[in-house]
Amino acid sequence: MLSRVATKYWRGRVSVSTKRHASSVPSERDVVIVGGGPAGLALASSLASSKLVRESLKVTLVEAGDLSKVREWDPPRGTYSNRVSSITNSSHEFLQGTGAWDHVEQGRTQPIEEMEVWDGISDARIHFSAGDAAVEPASQIARLTENLNLQRGLLRHLSQFSEIELADKVKVDSIVQDEQEGGGWPLVHLSDGRVLRTRLLVGADGFNSPVRSFAGIQSYGWAYDTHGVVATLFHAPRNSLQSPNTVAYQRFLPTGPIAFLPLSETASSLVWSTRPPLAAALKALDPAVFAGMVNAAFRLPETSVRYLNNEMLQAHLAGTPLSLAQFHEELEFREKSHMIDSRSALSSVRRPADSGMPPDGAEDYPPLVTSVQPGTVASFPLKFSHADSYIGEGRGARTVLVGDAAHTIHPLAGQGLNLGLADVEALSECIVDALSLGGDIGSYTALTPYARTRYFENHKMLSACDKLHKLYASTAEPVVWARSVGVEVLNELDALKGALMMSAGTTKTRGPPGQVGWELAARGVEGFAKNVDNVRVLGSSIAGVVGAGLRQLWQQNSQGRRL
Amino acid sequence: MRLSSLCHGAFSSTYARAPFQLPTSLAARRALTRSYHTNYPAQNAYVPSTSSGSTVNQDEIAHFSRLSSLWWDEHGEFGQLHKMNPTRVKFIRGKLVESALEDDLNANVDEIRPLKGKAVLDVGCGGGVLSESLARLGGITLGIDASHSNIQIASMHAAADPALRSRTIGHTGGSLEYKHTSAEDLLREHGPNSFDVVCSMEVLEHVNNPRSFLDSCAQLVKPGGYLFLSTIARTPLAYFLTIFMAEDLLRFVAPGTHTYSKYVNPHELEEFFRSYKSSLTGRNWITGNGPISRVQAETRGMMYVPWRGEWVLLDRGSKWAEGCNYLFWVRKPVEA
Ligand SMILES: Cc1cc2nc3c(=O)[nH]c(=O)nc-3n(C[C@H](O)[C@H](O)[C@H](O)COP(=O)(O)OP(=O)(O)OC[C@H]3O[C@@H](n4cnc5c(N)ncnc54)[C@H](O)[C@@H]3O)c2cc1C
Repeated sequence: MLSRVATKYWRGRVSVSTKRHASSVPSERDVVIVGGGPAGLALASSLASSKLVRESLKVTLVEAGDLSKVREWDPPRGTYSNRVSSITNSSHEFLQGTGAWDHVEQGRTQPIEEMEVWDGISDARIHFSAGDAAVEPASQIARLTENLNLQRGLLRHLSQFSEIELADKVKVDSIVQDEQEGGGWPLVHLSDGRVLRTRLLVGADGFNSPVRSFAGIQSYGWAYDTHGVVATLFHAPRNSLQSPNTVAYQRFLPTGPIAFLPLSETASSLVWSTRPPLAAALKALDPAVFAGMVNAAFRLPETSVRYLNNEMLQAHLAGTPLSLAQFHEELEFREKSHMIDSRSALSSVRRPADSGMPPDGAEDYPPLVTSVQPGTVASFPLKFSHADSYIGEGRGARTVLVGDAAHTIHPLAGQGLNLGLADVEALSECIVDALSLGGDIGSYTALTPYARTRYFENHKMLSACDKLHKLYASTAEPVVWARSVGVEVLNELDALKGALMMSAGTTKTRGPPGQVGWELAARGVEGFAKNVDNVRVLGSSIAGVVGAGLRQLWQQNSQGRRL
Repeated sequence: MRLSSLCHGAFSSTYARAPFQLPTSLAARRALTRSYHTNYPAQNAYVPSTSSGSTVNQDEIAHFSRLSSLWWDEHGEFGQLHKMNPTRVKFIRGKLVESALEDDLNANVDEIRPLKGKAVLDVGCGGGVLSESLARLGGITLGIDASHSNIQIASMHAAADPALRSRTIGHTGGSLEYKHTSAEDLLREHGPNSFDVVCSMEVLEHVNNPRSFLDSCAQLVKPGGYLFLSTIARTPLAYFLTIFMAEDLLRFVAPGTHTYSKYVNPHELEEFFRSYKSSLTGRNWITGNGPISRVQAETRGMMYVPWRGEWVLLDRGSKWAEGCNYLFWVRKPVEA
């Protein structure tokens, strides 16, 4: 019976079983959070930090995995997990407010003080620094942390509050609605035989959210034809003439953006979005060749990156992956043909560390990768999805979605986890508000402010990133033409910059996080895509006009906000 | 946007005709009309029942559960009532905190649960939307309604909620009970000066004799205690929105649902309490002729803001305060 119900709901819509489980008397809960990922743990931790919640609500978090592995996570010094996230200042502030941030190991986090973003085709480039923040100068644009460091911190914070029950190594098998008169509360059947009857069921259960299926909430979206390849990279420390390793780099290649995110003086994290066959070939590479490919992808002209990609793919498909010697030969040939001097910043040929003055423009590119931490090369399919609603109704009443259960986003702006944290902040505020007015926290009325605060915000960010991805990944002829001559790329990067810098501010002083910026970025990109065709027809003489309005808009906006 | 919603809040269960929005199905309409056969105050209309629901049979349970889903469907007939509820509670909570601090600035006021330990009466509780909130905020709450159905609905809904099922609610010290009776009968039964807080929301506009109704409610309040009311003002705007538009023009609600003459204006309530004494020797509830002191009584307008999807409490003295839906609070003199 259990498994029958389970398969029923995994297939899609609600299964409201009419049979009761004779085995177990339901135990009553006020909040059941399904999922102990960053979003679920952050919600538990945020609720725990409220005295009112601790006094009035019985909260249980259910996680299929083993949380003690996270709690006891203690990686050897100098090694890093491959799942990292940039925590924006708003998220940072939220976590400080709940007290959770104190439990995140600071030595394993790294500030991002500057960003270098450039276009792979035109090489149009834009530089960001924390001081540019549209609202107020911040000391950092964001802070990089391993997801595990954050999750462990949240668990440590939670360990102070015995009121919150953590049930791990337990799966949610099925969810049905109770039949009590005047009830209709969710009954959550766990793999250990327990049944929880809950006032509010929170789906923090990731992209495949069983809670979302139970609630009958449809999700709109698609998989990008792109995988995100991640890895932990090692490199020499920057020398004393250079700024510390606090600069993030991102290059928009037609296959997808490649990003280099600093973790320490000698380690950084890679997120390389690329076509699935290329991702598979990259994962199969010898680590030294992998490191070389990363270096080249940040430096070589796009045509040669494409060429190397192709060589790699052919070799991979032929079952004879590119050897280090072959790779070097190709690389040298490519560099020579572009007249790249082996001592210049554009060369991927490794120089002995501390060989005196760094070459001119060295800071335009990330440090040369010397090795890859074993076992850290992995890839994830990237998708766009947005639930039709965050609150369940009717047979799915008393359910609410947060984090990846509600939305998944392209990682190019490093916002996925931050959106989830913003959801959690809004939902816990909403719960506390309802409590303080004697409301039923599972009711639609009580949850509405949460959806109102988050849905449109998330949607703007999701579509901005989606449009950016599509624009840069576009091989449509007019778009590529426009980019190849550098038309308007700067404008569009400007919009992106505006968006990122606005979300780099601090929430409490400026209202909703970065919303205006993302709206501008989305509009800018949309405008760009629409305009390229016209630009081509009209000729490049007037190209500068297109999109200038946007830049102005952003500038006005940031000035307005500075007042 | 539903026009009727602008000006019309909740309907007391005790009210005799169809609710303000057209019920979705004929069956639902019939069910509703059946349950609203008693008017308020309806001393004669109900048959006093034992307050336990033990005499209810299976058919009745089915019938009530259908009605219950109407009362508690937040997207249905009573959607506006659900939306309005937090605003009413905010007002109640605010006045309680304010008055406690007024009495003693150094008092250790529980700002979150100012109802803790207080005897609270909800007159015309309907399906229990307000009563449940009052109990969660720590009130030792009694919800009464002249409609037997409503009391069954409210009891059934509370029974599904473990926090309300137990007589004493968690750490809040609150409790919740329902009783099928009228304010007048309760007064006869309990005697005057029985409750710290008496609420009667969206009831006044449906009663036949507001003076005697107000008198009963007022008597039930303990000296120094509070009376909260909410109703609709008798203004052209209210007439336009609740009667002309909603009833006559758009037929959102059955014509005759509202009687314009029954609408009560804020200054009429104020006048009532200026001349009202709880006893022959006591002082008037509102003293002086000038502007009313906020420690004696207060009127606040309430408006539905469609783009925010919520009801908001208007600022004190706002021009709109008397326009349509409003909340009224008055305090019984200590030396009544
Ligand atoms: C390549 C890549 C790079 C990224 N980079 C960034 C970045 O730089 N910045 C950023 O902010 N975000 C980034 N993200 C996104 C970020 O990782 C996710 O948004 C985040 O992990 C989502 O957290 P979550 O808690 O919502 O869901 P998840 O982490 O998916 O957690 C869901 C949890 O629910 C549990 N669960 C599921 N079903 C059940 C069940 N039936 N019973 C019990 N438990 C269950 C699972 O075990 C899991 O632990 C990136 C994502 C990718 C793929």
